[in-house]
Amino acid sequence: MNNLGFALDGAWRVLLAGIALGAGLPILFTLGLRSLAWSASGPVPRPAGRVAGYTLFAIVVLGVLLGITFIVATGFGKALSFEHIYPTIVPKH
Amino acid sequence: MTILRVTQASVILALVIVTALAFDFTNGFHDTANAMATTIATGALKPKTAVALSGVLNLVGAFLSVQVALTVTNAVVKIQNSDGTPKESLTANGGEAMLLIILAGLAGGIVWNLLTWLLGLPSSSSHALFGGLIGATVAGLGWAGVKWNGDGTKLDGVVGKVLLPAVVSPVIAGLVAVVGTWVIFKITVGIAARYAQRGFKWGQIGSASLVSLAHGTNDAQKTMGVITLALLASGHWTSTSSIPFWVKVACAVAIALGTYLGGWRIIRTLGKGLVDIAPAQGMAAQSASAAVILASSHLGFALSTTHVATGSVLGSGVGRPGAEVRWRVAGRMVSAWLITLPAAGLVGALLWYAGDTIGGLAGAIVVFALLVVAAAGMWLRSRRVRVDQHNVNDDWDAVVAPAEVAAPVTVAS
Repeated sequence: MNNLGFALDGAWRVLLAGIALGAGLPILFTLGLRSLAWSASGPVPRPAGRVAGYTLFAIVVLGVLLGITFIVATGFGKALSFEHIYPTIVPKH
Repeated sequence: MTILRVTQASVILALVIVTALAFDFTNGFHDTANAMATTIATGALKPKTAVALSGVLNLVGAFLSVQVALTVTNAVVKIQNSDGTPKESLTANGGEAMLLIILAGLAGGIVWNLLTWLLGLPSSSSHALFGGLIGATVAGLGWAGVKWNGDGTKLDGVVGKVLLPAVVSPVIAGLVAVVGTWVIFKITVGIAARYAQRGFKWGQIGSASLVSLAHGTNDAQKTMGVITLALLASGHWTSTSSIPFWVKVACAVAIALGTYLGGWRIIRTLGKGLVDIAPAQGMAAQSASAAVILASSHLGFALSTTHVATGSVLGSGVGRPGAEVRWRVAGRMVSAWLITLPAAGLVGALLWYAGDTIGGLAGAIVVFALLVVAAAGMWLRSRRVRVDQHNVNDDWDAVVAPAEVAAPVTVAS
């Protein structure tokens, strides 16, 4: 394969991961805000909105922690592996 | 005679180290905008707070670079072996040949970084560094010294590591930001302002912090690698599996101080010049940048932070209903990207010829002196129309809209 092939191959994966995390997480975060706003907007508080909101925030925080883990692992010459679905830290090959 | 040679090489080495740290410093303030331009433009953080946060995170990020790759130049030029040691042909006389290539290359990168800063144009610091090194290598070793394409087993060479990623990265980041911004604006219609304001403020701070941290780990490493290469070439260091601790500290501090200085001109262009940024949009743009930078680095497809950040800001402008994108400003940036590599290369090559013609220590001193003169000149020019933390957020079109104006006298941001 030549450079162009490698670049396009890499570009697709980056685009997919980018949309999942770079667009997906802020969208979940916004939905969380929306839930919080909704829970406080009625005449009586709606606890379901708070629960949903904080659950969404928790997912976003996990995403951010994944990002930090990746940065730290890279600095130590390690890589993240997703072969077990959940991320594990492995030596860089 | 031998002692004289050794002393000469040591002085040249000292000049190389100072120049490398100066490059690291310009790398810092050139890239503050990538993480913090949107956060500053939307008022999520005060300008000084933003650059301080980014500086600290760059410092932390730089210290996280425990495993530093010494093969940084191998992507584009052939002056190192695959294990990171310098080519033996360049290490005679205390490594003078190698040191001059590195010195001229770094100086080329600095000159281009300063010029684009003066014009308020975000351009990639890695491209400037690679461009300078390529130019100095072509001058010193001929065209065969440059690795244009890899050997076909992975993404490599000038084409694979520099040109293709530069074309692809703004597009990817832009698409991600378009999707994120568009959906977020659909969701936030009618949301209570107090939730939106507080929420998006923290969303922006979080995503901008990730970009800063990633920047510190990636970019400070490059200078650490270059300085260690100079030490290897001159025989002051022998290990290829570690770097001297003082190199790490010096590089970390240089990039953090540079970031804290804040390249206000570039922050202004990226935060105010391209599009007017709303808080939700800032969060979408910065999240897109963070995700694309981290994902690409995970997949071994390293992208320039600058190109990603610019693509994200543009994308967030396209995705937000009713936002106006100033395509003329974007066009100027893209032209700057196109000429970054050849321009830095040209400066690097000219400086190498100057240094080589004069030769030895005097040659290196002349290269360094030329760099200082150029830097001082551009700094003085920047004082004519100042951009700092007080006017960084002024309306783009109102008083000074410098990057729109062609005449260099009024160029300000």
